[in-house]
Amino acid sequence: MSWPIVLLAIFLGLSAAGVVLALLLPDRRNPLALGWTSSLAALCILWLSGAVLLDGSGFQISLWSLPGLGTLTLSLNRLAGFFLFSAGIVFLAASVFSVSYLRRYLGHYSLRSFSVLYHMLFVSVALVLIAGDVLSFLIGWEAMAILSYLLVNYEHEHQENVQAGWLMLSMGEAGTLAAAVAVLVLANSAHSLEFSKLRIASAALEPGISWAAFLLSFFGFGVKAGLVPFSTWLPRAHPVAPANVSAILSGVILNLGIYGIVRVNIDFLPATLVGTGLVTLIVGSASALVGILYATTENDIKTMLAHSSIENMGIIASGLGAGFVFTASKHPALAAIAFAAALYHALNHSVYKALLFLGAGTVDIQTGTRDMDQLGGLIKRLPWTGLFFLVGALAISALPPFNGFASEWLTLQSFLRSVEIQSAAIGTVFAFCGAALALTAGLAITCFVKAFAMTFLGMARSQPAKEVSEAARTMIVPMGALAALCLVFGVAPTYVIPVLDRTLGPYIGSGAEQALVPPFFTPRASELPPNFLSEFHDLGAQVGKGLLPGPGLVVLHRGGDRNPVVFAMSTSYTFIVLLLLLGSSFLIIRLWLTRGRSVVRRLPWDGGLQRLLPAMTYTATGFSSPVSVIFHAVLHPTATEETRETIHEHFRTAIRRQRRDLHILEWLVFKPLASSTAAIANACARMHSGRLNAYVAYVLITLLGILLLR
Amino acid sequence: MANWLDVLKQAEQRWSGKVHASFGTHPRECELDCSPPIVAELCGWLFSEMHYSFGTLIAEQRDSHWELRYVWYGEGDQGIIHVVVRQVLAEEIFGTLIGRVHAVDWNEREAEDLFGLIFKGHPRLGDFVLHNGRWDENVTPMRRCFDGCLPYIHTQMEKDWRPLLVLEAPGAFAMPIGPVYSGVAESALFLLETQGEDVVRAVPRLFYKYRAIEKIAEGRPLQDALLLSERCNGTSAFAHGMAFCQAAEAIEGLKVSTRAKILRVLLAELERFRHHVAAIREICESTGLAVATSQAAILEEELLSLCCAFTGHRYLFGLNAIGGLTRDLEGSACLEAIRVGRNILTRLENLQDALRYSSSFLDRIEDVGTVSQADAEEFGLVGPIARASGVSRDLRELQPYSGYEHFSFAVPCEQEGDGYARLRVLFSEAEEAFRIMEDAALQLPEGPIRIESVNDLGSGAALGWAEAPRGATFHWLRTKTDGSVARYRLATPSFMNWNGFHLAAENFAFQDFPIIMATFGLSVAENDR
Amino acid sequence: MSHWVLKGLKTGIKSTRYPEQEETRPGVSPGLPSPGSSFVQIADICPTGALLRENNHIAVDYGRCVHCFRCARTTDLPPLAWQSGYEWGFLSGETAGDAPTNLERRTFGRSLHVHLVDAGDCEACLSEITQLNNPYYNMHRLGFFVTPTPRSADVLLVVGPVTDHTRQPLQKAYDAMPTPKRVVAVGACALSGGVFGPSFIAGSGVGNVVPVDVLVPGCPPPPLAILHALLVAVDRKPSGLKTLSARFAEENVEAG
Repeated sequence: MSWPIVLLAIFLGLSAAGVVLALLLPDRRNPLALGWTSSLAALCILWLSGAVLLDGSGFQISLWSLPGLGTLTLSLNRLAGFFLFSAGIVFLAASVFSVSYLRRYLGHYSLRSFSVLYHMLFVSVALVLIAGDVLSFLIGWEAMAILSYLLVNYEHEHQENVQAGWLMLSMGEAGTLAAAVAVLVLANSAHSLEFSKLRIASAALEPGISWAAFLLSFFGFGVKAGLVPFSTWLPRAHPVAPANVSAILSGVILNLGIYGIVRVNIDFLPATLVGTGLVTLIVGSASALVGILYATTENDIKTMLAHSSIENMGIIASGLGAGFVFTASKHPALAAIAFAAALYHALNHSVYKALLFLGAGTVDIQTGTRDMDQLGGLIKRLPWTGLFFLVGALAISALPPFNGFASEWLTLQSFLRSVEIQSAAIGTVFAFCGAALALTAGLAITCFVKAFAMTFLGMARSQPAKEVSEAARTMIVPMGALAALCLVFGVAPTYVIPVLDRTLGPYIGSGAEQALVPPFFTPRASELPPNFLSEFHDLGAQVGKGLLPGPGLVVLHRGGDRNPVVFAMSTSYTFIVLLLLLGSSFLIIRLWLTRGRSVVRRLPWDGGLQRLLPAMTYTATGFSSPVSVIFHAVLHPTATEETRETIHEHFRTAIRRQRRDLHILEWLVFKPLASSTAAIANACARMHSGRLNAYVAYVLITLLGILLLR
Repeated sequence: MANWLDVLKQAEQRWSGKVHASFGTHPRECELDCSPPIVAELCGWLFSEMHYSFGTLIAEQRDSHWELRYVWYGEGDQGIIHVVVRQVLAEEIFGTLIGRVHAVDWNEREAEDLFGLIFKGHPRLGDFVLHNGRWDENVTPMRRCFDGCLPYIHTQMEKDWRPLLVLEAPGAFAMPIGPVYSGVAESALFLLETQGEDVVRAVPRLFYKYRAIEKIAEGRPLQDALLLSERCNGTSAFAHGMAFCQAAEAIEGLKVSTRAKILRVLLAELERFRHHVAAIREICESTGLAVATSQAAILEEELLSLCCAFTGHRYLFGLNAIGGLTRDLEGSACLEAIRVGRNILTRLENLQDALRYSSSFLDRIEDVGTVSQADAEEFGLVGPIARASGVSRDLRELQPYSGYEHFSFAVPCEQEGDGYARLRVLFSEAEEAFRIMEDAALQLPEGPIRIESVNDLGSGAALGWAEAPRGATFHWLRTKTDGSVARYRLATPSFMNWNGFHLAAENFAFQDFPIIMATFGLSVAENDR
Repeated sequence: MSHWVLKGLKTGIKSTRYPEQEETRPGVSPGLPSPGSSFVQIADICPTGALLRENNHIAVDYGRCVHCFRCARTTDLPPLAWQSGYEWGFLSGETAGDAPTNLERRTFGRSLHVHLVDAGDCEACLSEITQLNNPYYNMHRLGFFVTPTPRSADVLLVVGPVTDHTRQPLQKAYDAMPTPKRVVAVGACALSGGVFGPSFIAGSGVGNVVPVDVLVPGCPPPPLAILHALLVAVDRKPSGLKTLSARFAEENVEAG
């Protein structure tokens, strides 16, 4: 038995032990047991997937064969390993976080069932990723869907939670069905259920079947990934789920949808049609824009993060779409860059979104509210949570030196390379989608400035926000670890990209590493064309040689010609420069500019007010109000105003305002859909006049029609 | 419209036995004494059926009773009617007029705060002139027993201050502006209730600059109280001084010479001219139009210098005296002033033409801060602000004083009620003011400049009024037997207009707020007194 | 917009040459009473007690003069002579006369940021301060700027007698300023309470609330007097009045 299988066995054993322990132990001991077993299981998964990613030693086990359905197999390759790795990170953090977090449910809900479901979810996620054939994949997928529904619906006493759970389940099941049909269509043409056989057979597929398979699978996995217009379940499910489940939902489950799209479109059915890529690209950009727009105007911190997940899934999908277009138009090197960017973003999103959800959960559990209008000033009371939330917010806003920047920058760069495709139509689509992504990036900054500032800065706008204390250490540490990862993945893209490249290499047949991370600091530098190298020497690429630990520069270049660079970035150098800059300006200010002056601390200048009250400071609604004014046409607000008066109309004692934004998908997609369905139904109903001769006439008309057709 | 005698007759018939008319010193003034229960009905009738305008509410603590005097003014023949209601001192509860005449709102709140009277049915009494959190509720400085000259020792300082906020909406907050501003502006606090972009409710918290002029005037000789009335607002000092002098002259029965009257008109119009140019400068400044601001500022400074060279003081302080003026102004000096003024007016007209074609400027003031005519009448707005909303009321025309009846002039009026309408009114009035100055300088007769007061007429009471640059002002004066002030009521246009300011500011975006404030051109000092 | 540029250019330069040259344009200042007259009864007609009897002569307390012109226009007595001029800034306070420290020289030697607190003036002083921005006086050319917050202010301009309600804002604004700082009290009210103070609601000047460095008498002081006071505050001009309450003898000595 090889060691990956041993690790897998240990993982399964730990999970099983977790389930048994959960059933044996009393409720109050359960969180700790869950923390230990599932974090150890997560460590196993990390080790297993990390090793696969680094040295490529996957495995393939045939379990048992079922009559008529083929053999059930488990296999782990680099692609699955990559997703397993990001799942492992999130599960590890969420498990440690759960130890203290779950105590809030003690006495209300059964922690025992939570533990059981949690471990089972972990196993089902792993099963989805290591499934080697259609059947085990579908079994794992269905288990994952149902278990995640049960966990989201954990606080089942609230009516809205139940509704959100139903929506999630029904949309998810519709998606599963479509995905199953798509995979079965492929399996049908391959006459096998094994993944490895599907790819060989798909080359011979007719474009019509390819399209059908693509659309069905894209819909099926798109629902899970939360792409528009199938994203409506996501912002409802997230706020009702416990924070650790939210982190897993966003950091792991959504990624499984991406995994499905990736697996189908670069493995089973490599893109040969530009159209499929464009569909992915457009849906992705639309998701990004719609997601961030609603995130910006949302005030519930967890709903906001859910909308932002839609946005990030959109960015990933648009990266994938760009990759499909490049693959189909025979630019494998560019496709490699786009895919690398998309996978990189998926990993980054898992890390920072898990971090932000854990942060939001901490705020929720400490203050009892998720409404940013009611929060404020928490940084004084929750300094560590605030710091780590800030790191997450900076990362998700794609600001260097954090990880969001590296992957979003790469995605946008790969869009710019679309100029190499000689088609005006494709160029136009890329231009629009690129513009949408740029707008998304801008709005994302607004959104997370608001999220951080309105939650952690300023004055506390409610009593609970005034009286909080810092969370338990088991909640702080996982957030700190995730924040550290945000920095590591942001500063060292040059180490991540080669790994991604090796992951994707077998499918694309071309590498992005050469195009992205030239080996300046390695002995292989001599392999580069001399004029290319000298170009970089002019740019100062060798400056850090001997001083810096290794590759620090990510460039996009056209190969060995003169003046080849398209773009270059170096988050690691930026980080060092940033540190030096901040440090030296601190020293200059402290030692030189303010020398001889004493520091006197005074309250902020409030214009000479009697007292600055929290009710006089900006709220989250106020902060995002300009955005809702600008996007008024999209948001479709319905406002109701009620003014209560006394004696005379000029004395208002209360002005009540309620505003509900109709989601764009509701008025653009679902409302027309519902009303046209109703219209058709009404039209049909009109046929039922109740008169016998009318029915006789229908029969006659039908008969005549059939005769005519014959 | 009904003649005032008809009005009195109708009132006496309608409430027979409960209303009693008596006549005062002024030919068109009369008092309608009425019993407390019908005062609201009577005033409501005057306001909505007889179309009188509300002037002011004068509360007085007499020796044995409270006396509330609601001053109403109408056009020409309608005269000025004082509705007077009296109650014994122990009876401190009065009925409110709020349901029928909204304009009386702040007057009642002020009387409640300063006299400790209670207006039953008024929904918003309390924190007004004397800020809560600094003053005890039972401090009533305007009562006789309160010594206004002694420093007041606060017993309870800085209690929990909670402003009344009424907007209940997700994320609603009150943006505080002031009391200390970022630029050169008077102290006043605005709480703008909002959800982020549009101002839903604008609440001014005024009286930071309350100097209690009405209180500290009590006991002072008339001519010292005149100094106070001039300094209630430095930028319209002459108009206030003139109204005060007219009240004092009415008590003493002084007949001011025609020369002094005409010179007063000339100076009052010079002040209006200067004030309007300054208001135009502020509007330009609020829209960030630098060249236009500088152009208007040049004109303003030239007018200030003209005032100083012409009369000795840049703000026309120290000119008014009871019985005339403190110094004579030569005919040649007047003509010189007219010459300079004409030059300034020409340049002001150029500026107006240039502004009229600046689309970026018009975009910012057109359809901004709109006050409808109905609201303007309901809230009793006065002056250029009311005239920009189609309420063409001007005391110079309605109830002429100081010989205004001998001048022919137009009262500019606009219908739109927005910022641009107010600006147009300011321009036209500035021009009209100069025309009156010109007329006055030409018809200036010879004669004494000042009639010395005899000073032994003793006690009495009279109302003086004037159309100050910002609108109608009423000065009620009651003297003691030794000629000193017993009660001085100073009703200013800003006090009336601030009450309606929120009409313009609400439902507009934050960034329009400074512009709306500039187009209103209100004075805090004149309001706070 | 081009017509505005053209209009601005056509207007030409209006600025006074004041700190270098004396301003002689008519109407820049109403003047102040001169001490001297031996008709001491004239002190009785002064409503604020600005005229004092001293050694059979009239002395003037400039801080109390509210420009009522009674002494100048009285017909019963020979009127008191008034002096023209506008250099009225008067350095007071404990630090008056001390050589500025290095820090002060560094702070006030550069462009100067002024913050204004209205402590209950009648708007005339405020209007005169506004005039400092107009093209005639244009204080920007001297490096003086109005700053939006006391946090970045070097000089606090205070007008008004300090009413009860503005006492706290004034104190807060003063506290919010970084050191070194200067306070300039503008106008008779800010100096002595003027016609308003002291009473139950108005104080008798700014000095009772925050320490004042430079005083400018006048009701209101003309813009050039305020400009002079700002120059005095930063040691760019000597104190204009030798003392706030001028005696006849001192004036004589000065004249001689």
